Amino acid sequence: MPYHADKAPEVRKLESPQAGRFERIVLPHLGAAFTLAMYLTRNTADAEDAVQEAVLRAVRYFPTLRDDDARAWFLTIVRRVCFTAYGTDHRGTDVISIDAAGPQLVDDREQPDAATSRLQVQQRVREAIDQLPPLLREAIVLRELQDFSYTEIATVTQVPVGTVMSRLSRARARLAGMLQDVVDFGDVA
Amino acid sequence: MSELPDLHKAMTEALPVYEAPASLQAWAREEAKKADQEASPARELPTAAPRARVRRFSDWRIAAGFLVAAVVGWGAASLRPIGGLTPATTATTNQLVDAHVRSLLPNHLLDVVSTDRHTVKPWFAGKTDIAPPVIDLTDKGFPLIGGRLDYVDGHSAAVLVYGRRLHTINVFVWRTGTSEPRDGSFEVRGHSLLHWSNGGLSYWAVSDAAEPELEAFKDAYTH
Repeated sequence: MPYHADKAPEVRKLESPQAGRFERIVLPHLGAAFTLAMYLTRNTADAEDAVQEAVLRAVRYFPTLRDDDARAWFLTIVRRVCFTAYGTDHRGTDVISIDAAGPQLVDDREQPDAATSRLQVQQRVREAIDQLPPLLREAIVLRELQDFSYTEIATVTQVPVGTVMSRLSRARARLAGMLQDVVDFGDVA
Repeated sequence: MSELPDLHKAMTEALPVYEAPASLQAWAREEAKKADQEASPARELPTAAPRARVRRFSDWRIAAGFLVAAVVGWGAASLRPIGGLTPATTATTNQLVDAHVRSLLPNHLLDVVSTDRHTVKPWFAGKTDIAPPVIDLTDKGFPLIGGRLDYVDGHSAAVLVYGRRLHTINVFVWRTGTSEPRDGSFEVRGHSLLHWSNGGLSYWAVSDAAEPELEAFKDAYTH
């Protein structure tokens, strides 16, 4: 007969109002956390380490989280770990490429030339993002790729909303300088 | 009208959004469960035990050594049956689940990677004094992934690693001691354990797959 260790008297946990809270509130944002860490550290090993460290810190600070935005709160921790522990330089302009671009689906009805040029455009976009300084890169990645609001970006990066807007606009201006022949920047360019 | 994509479209087409690796997810889920269990209204700031960090081998090995020594000492000192489950059994099952979860961290799963039992079995020889049967169960839905050595609950353990669809089954094998828990299935923190003994060896299969899967595995492995 199966014996369930969880049901033994000495190991049974009483359900408290806190039960399952961390798992329910913070864990759904693990993917967003890992994505941000990938764009900040730009390698998988450091990104994994950073997120792992961030989870440990999040567990510790969890009681201080009230009814705020858990995703922004968790990513604030991830970002701080990336900048402090994993040597992501705030100001650096190194141009190491992110290796893993996800599998790109190529519509096979397109002409080979069109497909090729689309891949080339994607490559140029990746390189342009890579060349942004980290503070501008994180702002534009959070905004355009992860759909964060200005307020959420301000929370994550711990600066006023005005600074977020200025960083985003500087990021767009820099990208426009590199990509204006392949991307429509509206009136920014 | 411009045919160029705007920045949002260009970026979402060109840049990947990542999923956390499965091993990291499994670890985080485990950590979250632990944190949620420890959280209680009476305690404002629960402090989580620092967990082994990926690739920081020396740190966690030393820490794990102390932990194992402490738990084993405590288990041995207070060995007495309560409701059929001794604290020693609880310590064993907890440590097995910890070892299982630790094995899912990147680069921790395998010392010898091979789907060939003729590679895995000789690998254990000379590294441990036990020679668990290494059986290829691919046709029964449990592909052999490899093996490693581990240290659990005061035992050196040979560990066979099998796959079950997206799950991993760790089979810990050690020489049967004097105070073995009785055979049977256990459930600890959402993981299933199945214990049996055969030919002087103790087997513990641990997985996050459901308990019937482990029974099916045992049937396949022992027949």
